[in-house]
Amino acid sequence: MSGQRIDRQTTRIAGLILLAVLLGGCVNATVDEMTYNEPVAGIGESSVVILGRRHKPDYDTEFDFIECIGDHIHSGDPSIEVINEIAFINQFYPWFEPRTAPLQPQTIDRLLQLPPVAARFDEMKLEYMIWIDGNTENTESTGSMSCGIGPGVAGCFGFGTWGTESEYEATIWDFTDKVEVGRVSAQTSGQNYMPAVVVPIPIIAPVQGTACDSLGDQLLEYLSAFH
Amino acid sequence: MLCFTLLAAGCSTKQVVVEGNFPKPLLDPLPITLGVIYPSAFAEHEFFDEAKGRAESDWLVKTGEAQVEFWDILFDGMFDEVVHIRDWETVQRRAAEIDGVLIPAIGDLQYTVPTHTNVKIYEIWMRYEFRLVDIAAIHQQEDGALSFNLDERLAAWPITAYGKTPTAFLQTDEEAVNLAAVVALRDAGAHFVTSFGGTPDVAIWLDGIARREQDAARSSNDQVGDPQPVVDSAEASTAEGEPDSGEAL
Repeated sequence: MSGQRIDRQTTRIAGLILLAVLLGGCVNATVDEMTYNEPVAGIGESSVVILGRRHKPDYDTEFDFIECIGDHIHSGDPSIEVINEIAFINQFYPWFEPRTAPLQPQTIDRLLQLPPVAARFDEMKLEYMIWIDGNTENTESTGSMSCGIGPGVAGCFGFGTWGTESEYEATIWDFTDKVEVGRVSAQTSGQNYMPAVVVPIPIIAPVQGTACDSLGDQLLEYLSAFH
Repeated sequence: MLCFTLLAAGCSTKQVVVEGNFPKPLLDPLPITLGVIYPSAFAEHEFFDEAKGRAESDWLVKTGEAQVEFWDILFDGMFDEVVHIRDWETVQRRAAEIDGVLIPAIGDLQYTVPTHTNVKIYEIWMRYEFRLVDIAAIHQQEDGALSFNLDERLAAWPITAYGKTPTAFLQTDEEAVNLAAVVALRDAGAHFVTSFGGTPDVAIWLDGIARREQDAARSSNDQVGDPQPVVDSAEASTAEGEPDSGEAL
């Protein structure tokens, strides 16, 4: 009787693992784009900086996400120079801190009234400033897992699942004209699974990576003459 | 043994000595020679918070060294010359060239970690009290320590700072609190830079310095007689009487 119950439970877990393997890695992505004044010949020898918004109380745009988009653009078109975010913020300290960062392209003119700031921007030959706002969060989780440890034996048994959602919006500022020239947004979501028969095996949906690829592709298309 | 370890882990003290790399500010320095006094409570600042329950830990956050390192870099970039006043000898030797003395203090520091709030963010909030005094307001106590009279200050203003960092995979509580403290320090610097000239009493002090420099330039151009000694409002106010109470630094 007890053996039958264990068999049924094992079958159920195996079914869930199979389902997880089939669904694992499935990510839904929605991308919206609205851009104008596209640089049809590319940006030449000018550079681009991608910065995360971090002034909201409940979240920060992740530094590694900004780095991921920069890498995506540079690997797609090596002629585009993407300035490292942390290096940029440090070089312009304290003008791009969460408290002081410009929220509108028009306010850059106020920064350019400071001679050392204007001189540094000139050195950089900055053409576009791209602000990314958003983050990735885990959502509802269900399932249960129990782990035990005994003399010479340890293991877990159960099944857990949780969702992950990303929502990012990129705002492109033309640094020469101090105007906004486009917005690109990406929303992605996916389900993660953690089946455990002795050893827990996490099957993680690449939600943030997909958002990075989606947003990176759109920005690359805008900035590069070859895409 | 395992139970004992788990119990002990719950009661342990988490200690953070704040460390970070702080950038030089991108500014044209103000043409001012600023004296700076870091009181020992500031230079050795630490914050201790006792655990409220068995699931929490005691926290000891030492910010003093990072405070001094950060504000030194900021002041060096913001003012033409910075003179660290550590003893009475420096006060006497450099008094003529120092335009004012800045004395920072930490009024309050609060922090939250995810175990306190169930929000996956580490936060640090600080409130500074900055006081600007004339060099003439600095006195030597009988034991040799420096002090100043609160009534003789040129300006006093608060600066608040906030730093947060989200929980991150493979980041310990201590690393996250350190990062939040570094973000808070940077925010304090940004707040200081952007509000310094706009603080009413500081603006009056800056105007006074600019006016004195203009007068000095004009008189040297006119070459009429010997230069006059500079008398400012702080000296005038101290002439009313000797201070009867002072704040030890």
